[in-house]
Amino acid sequence: MHDRLSFYYYRDSILHQLNPLTKLVLVFGLMLISFIFPFFWTPHILILVAIIPLIFVGKVKREYLNATIRIILPATMFLFVMQALFQPLGDRELFRIWFLHPTLESTLFAFRNAARVFAIASSFTIFLLTTHPRELMSDLTRRGLPPQIAYVIISTLQILPQMQAKAQTIIAAQRSRGLDTQSSFLKRVGSLVPLVGPLVFGSLVEVEERAIAIEARGFTSTRVKTSLHEIPDTNLDKALRWILIGLVVITIALRIWLS
Amino acid sequence: MNIEIKDLHFTYPTGLEALRGISLSIEPGEQVAIVGQNGAGKTTLVKHLNGLLQPTRGQVLIGDWDTTKYSVAKLASRVGYVFQNPDEQLFSKNVGAEVAFGPRNLGYNGDQAQALVKDALALTELSNKTETNPYDLSATWRKMVAIASIISMDTAIVIFDEPTTGQDAVNIARIANVIAELRKRGKTVITISHDIDFCAENFGRVIAMSQGKILLDGKTNDVLGQEEILTTTYVDPPQLTRLGKRLGFNKTVKNQEEFLAALKK
Amino acid sequence: MAIVNLQNVTYKYPLTDSPALQNINLQVNEGEFVAIIGPNGAGKSTLCYTLAGFVPHFFKGELTGTVEVAGGESHNSSLSEWVLNVGLAFQNPFNQISGAKYTVFEELAFGLENIGIPRQEMKARVEEAMKLTGISDLADRSPYSLSGGQQQRVALTSILVMQPKVLVLDEPTSQMDPIGTREVFGVIRKMAQRGMTVILAEHKVEWIAQFADRVIALKDGQILLDDIPSEVLTSPILPANGFGISRYTSIARKAQEMGLWNKDRLPITLDQAVEGFFNEGRK
Repeated sequence: MHDRLSFYYYRDSILHQLNPLTKLVLVFGLMLISFIFPFFWTPHILILVAIIPLIFVGKVKREYLNATIRIILPATMFLFVMQALFQPLGDRELFRIWFLHPTLESTLFAFRNAARVFAIASSFTIFLLTTHPRELMSDLTRRGLPPQIAYVIISTLQILPQMQAKAQTIIAAQRSRGLDTQSSFLKRVGSLVPLVGPLVFGSLVEVEERAIAIEARGFTSTRVKTSLHEIPDTNLDKALRWILIGLVVITIALRIWLS
Repeated sequence: MNIEIKDLHFTYPTGLEALRGISLSIEPGEQVAIVGQNGAGKTTLVKHLNGLLQPTRGQVLIGDWDTTKYSVAKLASRVGYVFQNPDEQLFSKNVGAEVAFGPRNLGYNGDQAQALVKDALALTELSNKTETNPYDLSATWRKMVAIASIISMDTAIVIFDEPTTGQDAVNIARIANVIAELRKRGKTVITISHDIDFCAENFGRVIAMSQGKILLDGKTNDVLGQEEILTTTYVDPPQLTRLGKRLGFNKTVKNQEEFLAALKK
Repeated sequence: MAIVNLQNVTYKYPLTDSPALQNINLQVNEGEFVAIIGPNGAGKSTLCYTLAGFVPHFFKGELTGTVEVAGGESHNSSLSEWVLNVGLAFQNPFNQISGAKYTVFEELAFGLENIGIPRQEMKARVEEAMKLTGISDLADRSPYSLSGGQQQRVALTSILVMQPKVLVLDEPTSQMDPIGTREVFGVIRKMAQRGMTVILAEHKVEWIAQFADRVIALKDGQILLDDIPSEVLTSPILPANGFGISRYTSIARKAQEMGLWNKDRLPITLDQAVEGFFNEGRK
């Protein structure tokens, strides 16, 4: 049984070949622009003009669609409905049923917010689909991120699924001692300790052993670290990052100028 | 309490067919060792006995209970399961409370539970450690706490999953004593173990499994004598059995007494 | 030439009353294969940690006496430099996987990245080490998808790739099934045959009997015996102190009491036992 250890899917695309930092800047750039640019239809345009094309460039249509249908769309639609119905803005009512009386203003407001959230969630999704965590951490470490932090992030990503397996075994062991996992709520709260206790204590032993293991492999060495894989940072990468930063700066300037 | 397994098939959700038609019955008080390579289906089989797994096809009966009709918590009153890693079940603030967890869950009242706990602690040589936090004990004693926690449930059937892994000779002897005492009390004891010497010296019946099926099932001496079949599931015969064979004994021996008896002849 | 020199070493873990190691005197020559046996709690792990530098640098506590291994002296060295000379592997293969890498190849290179080995040399060392331990076919697999025996071999290889002068192994086969045990001992034996100094703490006496140059019996932090396998593993001190001994030895001892074994030496391997009993039969 081999679980997927990250959201990454390998494809032969330009997006995959871009430096991880570039993609990170892209995501944050899109996020900032969709929030700050002083034009109502900004997020909607970004989705059509930037995000949808990126999905095709990155060749991750199916995976993106999967994530959208399952998570992003339901979440943003829920947000839209809630805000449209309950945000009291303006007075041009669209209809009135029971206690629900959405206005045109609140609906438009909700539509824009939902689009913003959709844009951000989508760009993060594309990022996760096209960037392997080890590349991101390796690149950030090369640029100065302390290796201890990078290690904590990556090892957590890999070890969490293993801890899940361990949790399953603990549940099985305690059920085998008569712990009833199907009874009343109160009883189930009480059964948290026998389930969480071994997970925590057992993990403490494991953590110490792992610390020894990585120490034995030079983790705290003061020598300059090298890396097995080279993560290229091309002129295209650098140009893209500067363009994006430029766009964000323009956005902020426009916002300040117009307000 | 009888165990009846009728044409048991089990396929994991991933599609892996782990058990392909297991049928066997175990009488009350039998001591059974299940051996075979990793992936043969030993743990999968044994998890059906307390309901942790439900058959894809076939039936498992614990006494008169069909395991599909009872929860794991209920089956725990008939089948005790000692998991391999004690750190995956220990959580209480002291040994006494830990060992009392099982009996309390089974509905024994305060006094009954205390009596069961006292007995289990005595059996596992833990009587002087009642107030100690289990995690302050060495791995050796944590193993005994885990065993005591199941014995205190006083179930008719007790399952040990790889009880001797990582244990030293002294603790293996302790565990063998526990099993001998359970035998005296008429309990059914089932173990999964890679330690073939341990199996040979403490269990009267051996079941060898391979790829979801039973290869051999019979008295220890009979099974251990079939070296060619055992090799197919990566089971080496016990040391004394091997020695006996090399010396040309006409009977398969499994422990010291039998070896010396055969040697004299 | 002694590559390990421990003199009058006594060690107490922090917040404990009794010492885990008492007055240990131990010299090991380069290329020797030394096995350490003892009941749980005897101090085998502590001794391994001391040889590997984790006592005292990782565990703190009080260490007195001289600890010299592979040219370094414990009190004067840092742990990060010590580990370059002394490799350490232990029981649980899962806890030895860093978790930072997604393939076995990268996992093996992890240590080399940490100590700044250039990329070309890194790849060469990893490939050579994989060939040595027979795991080249696992290079692209995730370390978490492997069997216990495979994981333990990866753990061993990831230490060997650092090219230590001494290899310290703390019960590496305790959690293994018979196949895994065989695989791991295969690797250890190969390393020993190539001249690596190996110090192995183990319970599986039958394997030690076949491969070790020397056996050290440890109990309550003290060395009871230090000699060749045929001397130590047949000594009556072992069963009297709760050590596990090979069933070949114990049956011969019983037979000896009954007058059915008259050789001077008790056997420690199957072949020795067969030879001894056959000769009895001929009389």
